[in-house]
Amino acid sequence: MPLDYPIHTATLPNGLRVVISPDHQVPTVTVNLWVGVGSRHEPPGRTGFAHLFEHLMFQGSRSVASGEHFAALLAQGGRLNATTWFDRTNYFETVPTGALDLALWLEADRHGYLLDAVTQANLDNQRDVVKEEKRQRYDNPPYGQVLPDVYAVLFPPGHPYHHATIGSMADLDAASLDDVHAFFRRWYGPNNTVLTLCGDVTFEDGYAAVERAFGDLPASATPDTRTPVPLPPLSEPHRFERRGPVPHDRLTLAFRLPVDQTPGFHAASLALDVLGGLASSRLVRRLVRGSQEALSVHATAWGLIDGASIGMLTLDVAPGVDPAALEEQVLAELVAFGERGPTEAELEACQAQNERAWLAALAAQDERADLLSQATLLHGNPGLVNTHLDDLMATTATQIKAAAAAYLQPQQRAVVAHLREATTGTDSEALA
Amino acid sequence: MTTPVSGPKPRPAVTPPPVWTPPIPDEFTTATGLRIVTHDLPSQQVISIRTVLPVALADEPRAHEGVTVMLARLLDEGAGDLDAEAFALALERQGAALGAGAQDGGVSVDVDVPVRHLPAALRLLADALARPLFPEDEVRRVLRNRIAEYEHETTLAPHRAARALIAGLWAADDRASRPTAGTPETIGALDREAIAARHEALQPRGATVVVAGRLAGLDLPALIDDTLGRWDPPGHPEPVLAAPVPRADGTRIILIDRPGAVQSEFAIGADAPGRADPGWAAYPVLAYLLGGSPGARIDALLREDKGYTYGIRAALRPRARGGSFVISGSVRAEVTAEALDLLMGVLERARDGFAEAELAGGVDFLTRATPGRWATADAVADETAALALEGLGWDFPAHTAAARRALTPADLDGALARVGAAGWTIVVVGDAARTRASLDALGIGPLEVLPG
Repeated sequence: MPLDYPIHTATLPNGLRVVISPDHQVPTVTVNLWVGVGSRHEPPGRTGFAHLFEHLMFQGSRSVASGEHFAALLAQGGRLNATTWFDRTNYFETVPTGALDLALWLEADRHGYLLDAVTQANLDNQRDVVKEEKRQRYDNPPYGQVLPDVYAVLFPPGHPYHHATIGSMADLDAASLDDVHAFFRRWYGPNNTVLTLCGDVTFEDGYAAVERAFGDLPASATPDTRTPVPLPPLSEPHRFERRGPVPHDRLTLAFRLPVDQTPGFHAASLALDVLGGLASSRLVRRLVRGSQEALSVHATAWGLIDGASIGMLTLDVAPGVDPAALEEQVLAELVAFGERGPTEAELEACQAQNERAWLAALAAQDERADLLSQATLLHGNPGLVNTHLDDLMATTATQIKAAAAAYLQPQQRAVVAHLREATTGTDSEALA
Repeated sequence: MTTPVSGPKPRPAVTPPPVWTPPIPDEFTTATGLRIVTHDLPSQQVISIRTVLPVALADEPRAHEGVTVMLARLLDEGAGDLDAEAFALALERQGAALGAGAQDGGVSVDVDVPVRHLPAALRLLADALARPLFPEDEVRRVLRNRIAEYEHETTLAPHRAARALIAGLWAADDRASRPTAGTPETIGALDREAIAARHEALQPRGATVVVAGRLAGLDLPALIDDTLGRWDPPGHPEPVLAAPVPRADGTRIILIDRPGAVQSEFAIGADAPGRADPGWAAYPVLAYLLGGSPGARIDALLREDKGYTYGIRAALRPRARGGSFVISGSVRAEVTAEALDLLMGVLERARDGFAEAELAGGVDFLTRATPGRWATADAVADETAALALEGLGWDFPAHTAAARRALTPADLDGALARVGAAGWTIVVVGDAARTRASLDALGIGPLEVLPG
């Protein structure tokens, strides 16, 4: 049975898609904007730019001073931020109901008139901040390079997902004010944006408030209208090894999956759960509890829209265990699972865990707003928020088996191995 | 430039929100002494259960430190009639997620579960608390994983900094100066018997179970009587909780050497009051004004002006009793000493006082952000469990909110005077070859270099 969160939609004449979901439990409203640009749109030589640009959105616009966006909303008790991902950039704040007009006014000012305030000094400062973000998240911690390595091995050069959102230091250095102007003009505008209000507001009041703030912005963006090119699974294994000061050997097996919100993606995502996503999963039973050759197993499925999604199994190898031998055992499980599929109990556990996770995500106003924006911008259907769970629950054991056989087989894997420096050469031969 | 299609519109006025008070829960106590605290939140379909079992980590034998956290991690590795695998599957088939841990004041066992599976989840939770099996294989695995986790944390700069900070901040013989989850040495000394013995410290008397979510139509007292209410172990002395004793030997720098590190990680701390302190209301405001946002004093300088950091945060870390004030974040390696100098300068200038408007900004943020912190079942349950752990009343949030609205700049001055007055413990995790001389030259205090 679908969930029953209220969802109202409307589109302003300038193309801004507006989604409003009233919920009066607490006197706050979330304003959440998704802009149809992410790191997948970055041309060669400009990796990391969409994210750097997102930082500049906090540095002032026509009527707002640098830093004032944060300050003005925090003074009202707002909680706010923005993030950049492969497929999109989002901006969001949760504010007391009485500050909704202010939040919308601030958003409209930067989404309409950012370039009136952008300066070289702001660009240089935020470039430095972003480089520190890169050092903090990717360059300094152990395993920080696993994800960028996975993207580079799993997707061919030039593919939208070949590089990480954070980009490279050289490309960040190369970003100019001209780039900022061109990027804003191309991508930012109401006709490439979804705005969701979720919380203590009615549809009528919310829509009127959005119209007041955004109604006179021109439809200035040029949205991406490409038809994504489906990317089939790898036909032979790919591998990348990195040695460094990591505490344990870590293996990440990555797979190309079908695009998000398709039966194939749902089935592959549940297959990954059965393999390694739960405490009762197969690889956990066999390698973590059973032989204790792995310290941990994790499974991830990230739904994406540009031709493929990403599935990953990550294993931390127990001390003294040969990573190659461990990998062989994982491959055997992949083959077996593709042949036989999940048991009834495994399917039941996966579905029950997905149900709780989805309901818990929707329980929070800000997260619900984000999911509504996502469903609207990337899938053209905000109602997915209410029907997604039914789609998952309708996935059968047969479909999961088929997805495992189609997308999660040994020859389809890209392996990223981050290994301890001290490990001897014989291991690398075994892994080569 | 953008061609404006219209002139700027005037900035909208804000209607100040009415005073909002967090909900007061209902409660009842079982015949066995277990306190059940409930928040009925009709919109919340996932029920959050938070179990708080008072235990003093200071009661752990010195050679067995970490046994309480290991006990917590083993509670659901087989319990009642189910072995570890079967128990995990039973939980997951009900859509339940169980997490357990221990802090300085107690063991916590948390369960989130869709409302229709609540009865089954309560049965499993009761088994985990009352009838854990501690299978030898799982004990061995959980202990070994803690040793691996310790090694992993050693390589993570923020964790390594936090470990050095507690060692530098609290007196050497205080349990708080050593890792909550133990070290390879103490974990290596544990076995099934030690875990089982520690389990005897858990009891319903003095413990609290918070249940938050859509509770209408449930007969919770009957459900509890049938499950957690049956847990009735022999009595155990109630723990005595105490605030940790600071080392108080003046400001000093502990440099953890990380050759080649591209950033230096800071953890700067001092002893601070806990939430039970009558002057508590000032502290979250102080932390917010110093390090709570990109516009706060520290980041306004180090991030927005200098571009040295992605962000540095200041926060109070209240414990079951007492607490600490901690500033943490990372800067790029080549500006380590300059960044530390600027940061300590911000702390010094804060002692010159805060303007009325700055204070008002902090008070407004914390006051107006409160409703959003009580919007979901898990958030409400977490907040309520923290009150139980710290021995605070349900009206604590409302009292604190009232005290916060009445704060004056002099109150902030007084609060700050109690933090770091005896000196700061400054931990830097970074490349000693590159940073040692310049850090020493700051003259902040004695500098000690430790291996990474």
